[in-house]
Order: sequence, then structure tokens, then C-alpha cells
Amino acid sequence: MEDVAEQLSSIKASFILLGPELVLSTGIVVLVTLGLIKKIQRTTLTVMSALTFVLAIAVSFALIRAMTQESAALFGGMLRHDSFSSYLDLLIDISGLLTVAMTWRRQQEQRALSEYYALLLTITLGAHLLVMSVNLLMVFLSLEMVSLSSYALAGFAFSRKGTEGSLKYFLFGSVSSAAMLYGFSLLYGLTGTMDFASGEFTRHLISHPSPLFFIAAFLGLAGFLYKMAAAPLHPWAPDVYEAAPMPVIAFFAVVPKLAGLGVLTRFTLALYAYGQSSFDWQFVLSLVALLSLTVGNFSALWQKNAKRLMGYSSIAQSGFLLVGVAAFVPQGIHYMLFYASVYVVMNFLVFLYLQYFESLGFSTLESFAGSGKILVWPSVFLLVGFVALTGLPPTGGFTGKLFIFSSLWDAYQHSGKGVLLLLMIFGLLNTVVSLFYYLRIPFYAFVRSGEFNAKPNYLTFENLLGLILVLGVLYLFFNPGLLMGWINKINFVL
Amino acid sequence: MQPYLLSLLLFTPLLAALLSLFLPATSAATFRIITVVVNALQVVFLLVLLVNYQAGAGLQFVEMKPWITLNMGNWGILKASYFVGVDGLSLPLVSLAVFILFIATIASWKITQNVKGYFILLLILNAAIIGSFTALDFLLFYLFFEFMLLPMFFLIALWGGPKREYASIKFFLYTLLGSILILIVMIALYVSVHDPSTSGQLVHSFNLLHMADASNFISTSVLDPHRALQLGPFPARTWAFLLLFFGFAIKLPMVPVHTWLPDAHVEAPTPISVILAALLLKIGGYGLARIAFPIFPDAAFDLGWFVGLMGVISIIYGGLNAMASKDLKRLIAYSSVSHMGFVLLGLASFTAEGTAGAVYQMFSHGLISSMLFVLAGVLADRTNDRTISHYSGLAGKMPTYTAFILVAFFASLGLPGFSGFIAEIMVFLGAFKSAGLGGPLHESLAIIATLGLVIGAAYYLWTLQRMFFGPLHVKGEFSVDQLSDLNRREYFILLPLALAILFFGIFPQPLMSVIDPYAQHFAAFVLESGKSLTLNP
Repeated sequence: MEDVAEQLSSIKASFILLGPELVLSTGIVVLVTLGLIKKIQRTTLTVMSALTFVLAIAVSFALIRAMTQESAALFGGMLRHDSFSSYLDLLIDISGLLTVAMTWRRQQEQRALSEYYALLLTITLGAHLLVMSVNLLMVFLSLEMVSLSSYALAGFAFSRKGTEGSLKYFLFGSVSSAAMLYGFSLLYGLTGTMDFASGEFTRHLISHPSPLFFIAAFLGLAGFLYKMAAAPLHPWAPDVYEAAPMPVIAFFAVVPKLAGLGVLTRFTLALYAYGQSSFDWQFVLSLVALLSLTVGNFSALWQKNAKRLMGYSSIAQSGFLLVGVAAFVPQGIHYMLFYASVYVVMNFLVFLYLQYFESLGFSTLESFAGSGKILVWPSVFLLVGFVALTGLPPTGGFTGKLFIFSSLWDAYQHSGKGVLLLLMIFGLLNTVVSLFYYLRIPFYAFVRSGEFNAKPNYLTFENLLGLILVLGVLYLFFNPGLLMGWINKINFVL
Repeated sequence: MQPYLLSLLLFTPLLAALLSLFLPATSAATFRIITVVVNALQVVFLLVLLVNYQAGAGLQFVEMKPWITLNMGNWGILKASYFVGVDGLSLPLVSLAVFILFIATIASWKITQNVKGYFILLLILNAAIIGSFTALDFLLFYLFFEFMLLPMFFLIALWGGPKREYASIKFFLYTLLGSILILIVMIALYVSVHDPSTSGQLVHSFNLLHMADASNFISTSVLDPHRALQLGPFPARTWAFLLLFFGFAIKLPMVPVHTWLPDAHVEAPTPISVILAALLLKIGGYGLARIAFPIFPDAAFDLGWFVGLMGVISIIYGGLNAMASKDLKRLIAYSSVSHMGFVLLGLASFTAEGTAGAVYQMFSHGLISSMLFVLAGVLADRTNDRTISHYSGLAGKMPTYTAFILVAFFASLGLPGFSGFIAEIMVFLGAFKSAGLGGPLHESLAIIATLGLVIGAAYYLWTLQRMFFGPLHVKGEFSVDQLSDLNRREYFILLPLALAILFFGIFPQPLMSVIDPYAQHFAAFVLESGKSLTLNP
């Protein structure tokens, strides 16, 4: 009987640490219920979902401040709550809030708005859980939670193209989920434990180096790479990006990516086993990063549609994020989190203005011709976003790349592996390639002349939010110390 | 004021750019006046700087403020500072920059399209150039170095000639490629170097002076000179030097990575051509002298022959291309390639004469190429045609113009009495003496390089003969009536340039007294440490 009491008290303690997730779940229920009311105001739904995100952010923040121990295992080791997961959750919630803001500013009315917001919240909840998961089953469940809602949300343009994109997303997703599940079952068979962060898992990994281990773990990685839109599981991204509504893409480019990145970091660190693993996971991750960078950047060169271009850009950005993990040095994770934070800001900056321009009828790259001369400020802000994505100073994008590649060089100095040097050189040289396509929209906007004519009104919500994001991206360059100071407090325990 | 002189030089244009941003675009004159006022203020600051500068006293007007300090736990502390100062290398270039930027503003008076944007970009470019020449922290230098690209790109792409889109993108991609090569080495360097002034936790600093001291390298680092780690066919440090070398050589530009330059020059508006030739190219040479050579003296010494050889190839190949050019601006652009080859040759000699010659050449070429591009612009403004073969006998129609052309051409081909002569003679002296003093250059390189002078004389004299002498007649879509002589504004731009070229050709002493102590120190340092690090792996 004491055992049950103990379990109950542990569950009770777990629930407190699960505050943000509870807020999100409540939000989902409320939104779905509100959707049943016929004459519900659209604003009410928007405010409700924004409120949910704000509350989740506040609770996450309070939890980080109140954190007493480095990490806590919840629900008998299913989830792990630590500063790493809290920080990623915070980024995810902020992205959710920004997505709501973008949706609110959409010209086109979104059909089925309450379901739309409920799905956004569900994906966010799934992402939260995924980042915290240390149990293979829990990983699968939360990953599917993210995926299934994403498939539905991808089709929320309710167009033929949207359906196509959604179906492609689904097909790709189910194949990689199946591969992942297969890998997980093999891993369970090989180690006898579902908890990949446990000592037992690592012990088996080191003491029984069988090639099957490699295959199993590699299949397991497939699911995460798919969520991140990293090569070789990236082909869905451009199609989905092209077809889905702009706020949804902005959301997809960040939330599932960061969630996948979070769990991938935990999983690969477990596989790496402090360098004692008999398989070179550093090599595998470096190759994946290299491939993502190359595929993303080079394919983007030929794109004519702004959304598709961003799809390939997102693949390349996954490559940059993975560099931080592939370094396998402690500061690499910190730097990766810094880059992830910058990525959230610059990603939303770009998508906010792409949506703004889309509402004025700009969708192909050529159609942007001449817009920079009339809509000066929006074009300048968009330019700042693209410059940040390219990684040029004085934007946080540069600082993030500088940091990430510093940790890679460090890793190279320690191990002397040629692949890391290769990743460093080709990764940075990829910047030159990426400049070419990131600069194309600003190029059309400022350099080419077009027939576009409109009377600009600069006092809009977009420009206020845009200005904040621009200042954020610049601030992260001039004073990265503040954010890095917070990130450095994150104690990464496997 | 003195301790903040460099900051004043640097931030005045930035503040003015910020101010201009909030002014209405309607009155074009405002932006011109703001820029001229900024330039005038910079001249005042520069004069104060020059008066208080003590030749031979090393770095001066140093300002150092912490910028980024990140405590990364076991790894150490990442530290970048706002660290600026001037010495015998940077002072001539900063002075040149202030002078040329003033000229460029005056030359921009005729810009009528989107004046606000133009002058804001010009002001940002101004700050970035001054910043590059004064930064002593690698990250700060890199910030300014990259910060030049975007304004320059738009200045060419928006106010350039018919093929401006191609030229501007080519310029951007080439120079970004160069800066990425530099970035790779920068990352490798700051991770490898620690700040000797602190004890306890390891401090990885971007301080260029720390990087130039071989004892500051962490012994486990790949770039540690005492470790001499091999990476494939070359030592790791040689690779790093090569990356830096090519990164800066693209900017310089050096054959075979020079192809962006003629295109950019031909398409850029006149004032931008002037800035490009006079200042941006110098950042390539400056970077080699400030960063690549002092930090990797061993690799530089080993590859000195290669650097010298590339210099000689640039001199000859650039000259031959200039001779074959049909467009006046293209001819001047290739002559720039040829003249920047002397900078490489001078630096590679590892002698005080060669180094001083290289710095003098950067300064002198800044003046001469500005004058040449302004002159080419004058012709293009009148007729919109720069084809050499379309003109003949201009001397009779435009006498004052021809007089200035004579000064510029003779200065550029290295006639005694003009500043170019002093620079080139010093470079040759250095290149000839190099082998005797233990430097890496063979005499034969110097002998081949002298051919460059002959080629230079050939294309300039030939152009003079074709365009300015003989009977007056023109071809193309314009008439002889359009060929009016210089107006007052053009005269006002050209006269100070011509006078400066003559002054520094006849009285090299004032400038040499600034450069010489630096050159002596530089040559002794790179030769000494280059040899000692190479001999004791």
C-alpha cells in the first residue's frame, strides 16, 4: 500500500512540473468547446488561444525560476523535466504566440478557426512532451501527436494544393514513423529497456556492440530527422510549405523542428555514450548536417516561389542547427540553443513580411519587383530577416553561426576527425550559396522596377511586431551576452 | 577629445545615417549637406589626429572597451572587445579614406535618383571603411569588413550602369566568398588563442595583437606554431594562411580571383568606383599586412615566393589586360589589378623597403585611381560612352581635362615626381634585396615585375595617343559639341587629387616618416619569427 501512496505523491509532484502542458491542454478543450458555439466571435477565439500561449509562457518561466533540482523524472521516468526542455518549451510557446499573431493579421479568413487554433495548441503540446521524453514509447506517442495534428493543419488552406501537400506530408510521415517504430522495437529488444537515458541502455550499448544497434538507432533517427525536415527525410518540406497558409508554415518551420531537435539531441547523446559507443555517431550527424545544408541551399537556388524557397531554406537551417549537436561538446548544445533562439526571431520576421506581401499579391519572386521603392520599411525589414538567415553581421544570425562553428572547430581540435573539418568548411561556404537565393527577393524588391503601386501605411501591427523582431535580431548580435548568460545556466544532463 | 578621436571618426557617419533615416526624402539637398558636414567633421578629427600622432611610437589613440564576454564554463571565456587604434600602417589608410570619402561625396553631387537612400548607404560605407582600418579586434574587423558588402551591393545595383545587376551580384558573391574564407580562420584562431593578461579561467580573445604572438597559442590547438601539425600535404598553419591569403586576395584583387573588379568598376557610378578602387581594394592589402602576415609569419615566409609570384602575375596579367581593354574604365580597373600586384610583391619581400613600398603604394594608388576614375566619369557624364576608339584628339577640345589626364596617366605609369614612382621603386628595392637579407623572394621575380612598368607605360601612352592627340574626331552616338571642358565642381575634385599626387611624389618624407618605423618593425618581426618558427617545429 505504501508503494501506491508513494506513486501517487510522485504523480502529484509530476503534475506541478507539468504546468505549461496542463495550460495547453485546458486551452485545447476550451477552444474546441468554444467552436461549438455558432455565433462565436473570431476575435474571442484568437484572444483565447493567445491567452493560452501567454499563460503557458508565464508558467514555463515561473517553473524555470523556481527550479530547484537539475532534472526531475516525471511519471516513473516517462518524461524528464530539466532546464533544457524548459528552455525549448519556452521557445516553442513564443513561436506559438507569434503564429497566433500572424493568423490574426491574415487577410483571408481562416475557415474552421477554432479547430485551427486547437490544432496549433495540440502540436505545441506534443512538442512539449517530445522535448521532455526519455522513454521510447513516450517519444513515439508525442511525435505522433505532433505529426497527426500537423497533417491536418497542413491542409488548412482547403485547396487542391493544400490537400496534396497534406497527403505528401502524411505519406512521408507515416513511413518515417514506421521506420522509427521498427528501430525502437529493435532497440528495446537489444537493451531490454525503453528508457534511453538510463544507465542500462548505455551499458548495453557499450558492452554489446552489434551492427543491429547501428541499424536500429539509425532507423530511430529517421523520425526525428523527418520532424526537423533534415536530409535525407526532407522532400515533403517544399510541397507542404508551398500549399499551407503562411502562419502554418512559419509555425512548421520552428515548432516541430525544435521539438525534433530537442529529442534528437537527447537521443544521440545517449547513443554517443560519452564517446564510448562503438559507432561513430558524430560522423553520421555530420553527414546529415552536411547533406541538409547542401540539398537545402542548392535546391533553393532554382526556386521561383517565395514559399517553396523558404521550404528549402528551412532544410538548410536544420543543417546549421544540427552542426551544434554534431560537435558533441557541451558548449555546442548551448550554442545550438542560442542559434535556435535567433532562428525563431528571424524566421518569424521573414514569414511575417512574406505574409504581408502575399496579402498584397506578391508570391513569386519576380512579382516582388519594385515593391521596395514603394513599401520601403516592410522591404527593409524583410531584408534584415534574409540577411540574418544568411548569417551576415550585424545580425544575430551571424553570431549564432559563429558560435556553432566555434564549437565544431573545438570538436575537431579534440578529435581530429576530417569529417568535422569538412563540415566546417563546406558549411560556411554554403553561406555564399545561400546568399544568392536569400537576396533574390530583396533584389527584385529594390533593384528591379515594377508596376506595383500602393499608398503605404506604415502604422500597422505588422510593422510594430516587425520592428521588435528586427531590433531583437540586431540586439542578439550586439549583445549576445545576455541571452547566452541565460542559456549557460542550462545544465544539460542526459 | 583625444582619447575618443577614432570613435568620433567612426560613429559620426553612423549617427548621421541614423538621423537621415528619419528625415523626409523630399529635399535632396539636406542629405548632401549632412554628408558633406560629416566629411568636414572627419577632416577636422583627422587633422587633430595627425597633429598629435607620434611617428614611430607604435599603436596610438587606442580605445578598448569590453564588448562580448561569455563565460562558457570549462571551455573558458569568449571575449571580444571594441578595440581600435592606429599605427604606421593604418594611419596613412585612414587619412586616405577620409580624404577620398570627401571627394566621393562631392562627386556624388550629380546623383538625383533616390538621394536619401544613396547618401545613407554612403555614410554606412564610410563608417565601415574607417572601422576596418582601425579595428584591432578580429571580430570587430570582421563586422566592418562584412558591413561594407551590403551598402556596396546596393550602391552598384541601384545607381549603376546597364549591366549593374550582374556586376553587383558578382561583386557580392566573390567578396562574401573571400570573407567566409577569413571567417573560417577567424573561428579557428580565436579558439586556439588565449589572453595572456588573465590568469585562472582560459580567455579566448579576438585580440589581433594576442594572435600575432606565437606564445599565446594553446598547446593542444591545431594552429599552435610549436606543434606544426600536418594536414594532408601542408602544415595546418599553412592552410590557415592560404585561406586568409585568398580571402584578402579576392578583395585586393589578385589574378586569378580578380574578375569581379572590372565588371563592378565598369557598372558602378563614378563616386562608387572611386571608393571601390581607392579604399575597398586597400582593405585586402591591409588585411594581409595586419592579419595574415603577422599571425602566420612562418607560413607566410614559407609561401613568400608564392605570394610574390602571384603579385608578379597580377602585375603582368593585369597590365596586359589593360592594354587589351576597349573601355576606358575597364582599362583603369585592370591597371588597378596590376598596381595592387606591387603590394603583394612588397609584402612578400619581408624587407622594410618592400613593406614601406607596399603601404606607400596602397596610399598612392588610392589617390591615383580616384583621379583616374573621376576623369573617366567626366567623359562618361558628357557622352555616355567610354569606348577608347570612339575618341581622338580631345586635347584641343578639352585642354584642362587633358592636362589632368596627363598627370594621372604619368603618375599611374610610375614617372618620377609622382607618388606612384616612390612606391614602386621601394617595392623593387625590397624585392631585389629580399634574397640577400634572407627573405623568400628570388631576384628574378623583381626583374620580371619591372616588365610591368613597361607594359604600364605602353598602355597609358597608347591610350593618350589614341584618345587625346591627333585630329579631333569622334564616333558613336554623340556629337563633338557635348565635349565641354571641366566645370568648376570637377575642377575642384581633381585639383586636390593632382596636388596630393605631386606632393607625395616630390616630398615623400612626411608620409614615409609615419610608415617607415612600422615597416622596419613589421619586416623584422615577420622575418625573425617566420624563420624561427619554421626552423624549430
